[in-house]
Amino acid sequence: MNATRVAPVGGRRREGGMSIAPYILILPSLLLAFWIIGYPIWDLTDMSLHSVTRFGQLKDYSGLANFSKLIDEPLFLECLIRTLIWTFAVVGGTVLLSIPIALILADDFIGRHILRVIIMLPWAVSLTMSGIVWRWALNGQSGMVNATLYDFGAIREPVAWLATAGTAFPIEIAIGILVSIPFSVTVFLGGLSSLPREIFEAARIDGASGWQRWRFLTLPLLRPFINIVLVLNFIYVFNSFPLIWVMTQGDPANSTDILVTWLYKLAFRYGKLDIASALSIVMFLVLLAFTIVYAILAMRNERETA
Amino acid sequence: MSRAGRSALYWLALSPLILAILFPFAVMVSTAIRPRAEILVFPPVWLPQQIRLANFVDMWRAVGFGQALVNSILVSAGATALCLIIAIPAAYATSRMPFRGQRLFRQFLLVTQMLSPVVLVLGIFRLMVRMGLVDKLYALVLCYAAFNLAFAVWMLQAYFRTIPRELEEAAKLDGASAFQRLWLVFLPLAAPALGVTATFVFIYCWNEFVLALTLLRSNQNFTLTFQIFSLVGGRYAIEWDNVMAATLLASVPVAIVFASLQRYLVSGLALGAIK
Repeated sequence: MNATRVAPVGGRRREGGMSIAPYILILPSLLLAFWIIGYPIWDLTDMSLHSVTRFGQLKDYSGLANFSKLIDEPLFLECLIRTLIWTFAVVGGTVLLSIPIALILADDFIGRHILRVIIMLPWAVSLTMSGIVWRWALNGQSGMVNATLYDFGAIREPVAWLATAGTAFPIEIAIGILVSIPFSVTVFLGGLSSLPREIFEAARIDGASGWQRWRFLTLPLLRPFINIVLVLNFIYVFNSFPLIWVMTQGDPANSTDILVTWLYKLAFRYGKLDIASALSIVMFLVLLAFTIVYAILAMRNERETA
Repeated sequence: MSRAGRSALYWLALSPLILAILFPFAVMVSTAIRPRAEILVFPPVWLPQQIRLANFVDMWRAVGFGQALVNSILVSAGATALCLIIAIPAAYATSRMPFRGQRLFRQFLLVTQMLSPVVLVLGIFRLMVRMGLVDKLYALVLCYAAFNLAFAVWMLQAYFRTIPRELEEAAKLDGASAFQRLWLVFLPLAAPALGVTATFVFIYCWNEFVLALTLLRSNQNFTLTFQIFSLVGGRYAIEWDNVMAATLLASVPVAIVFASLQRYLVSGLALGAIK
């Protein structure tokens, strides 16, 4: 009796195929994401299309007026150019250095494990802490950078590295590269270890030189990993806030401001909420575009490896 | 070339980078252990005349390290727990049950993963004002859980796929309910993945800067990262011995944990993003 009553239930479940269970399981994650991430996006969009008081009250619908105000702001172009320099310099420098480092670390040599640990260290320390330590190391009076250069006779007077417009930004780029290397090296190492050994052996037997093996085998096979690293780093570096904020807060005289630090000042220091909301939306759209590029690249890899 | 020769060449080639990486650690240690009188001098020296470990004790009291440590632990543990409670069912669904819209859900997650909080920080601040959560640690718990959700789902589903279905099917034949199968069979098998994912979410929360900077107001609520920054930001007289001692103490334990688990992060990222 019982058995006949139970059977159709199981049968129906199997026939239906689509049950609502997965939707119930993903519902909490959708709710949290829409609440904490989705709502602010909607709110910022709404704000960017209205005139706003400096206390955040929305007034009349103003179309794209806030966006044209943003473009008219003299600092906008300056920060945009600096963001592009920052992003291309850090991402380019990171990738150019990370490939040879990964090639070295993938080879067999004495002390390889300890060297791997050292190269990964900057990743393990937060950007805020790195920024604080470097700010002290570059201190204009008694920083250890000055101490070291003085010991080697490179300088006679203490140099105020971060308080000088000409040196602050290049130094921040160099530190940006230093802290971005571990992630990129890691992805490249993963890529190198996935390459099939046999074809390298075959190439060696056929008499291909080291350079030829690199140029015609390693590089093309590493290509998908290079693409992934480029796009991911572009997204991370474009958004990078703590390092610059901790070291210089965009100063001296806005000379190290990039879009994110300027955005923060617009919103929380200058009270220009109209421009700040417009800039937030612009940056959101840039990131969205890059995420789409990333998704396409990742899917293409998936298809190739499948 | 011999193995020894190659090794020497490699170490030599990477030596400038090694110096640049180790330099800040040397600065931290060298400053944290010296008496205050030996800090602001030119030319500065690497080794102080006197090693003063009492700096750590003084620092603990002077910067309110204990309170900030407790805040960081509360926020990070709370956010990690919330994040996993929400991510586990989602990862289970995406790895075990094919459903319509799964691709869309994964792409939605990817977008939230790529958004850095700093781009939305004005909107998040307004949301928290509306909910009356400014200067409350709950606000950080909610934000950190939300911004780590995609990462956690991504990591977990990659591991969940490697757990064989047969065990759950056997439990099903033995009459276990869906909940029992998840709780008694599946989750214990997934424990290592849960541990690794939880650790990385915890470290993210521990290190997070921009939301703490924006949402916290009163000193007794500051997280450790933000508290140490507040010793440096916008002050004229910075007590660098305290700052470096605090930085050392706040980052070295996390760095050790991170370094020992880093290879899992890579395999997780590789599974999720590249394969």
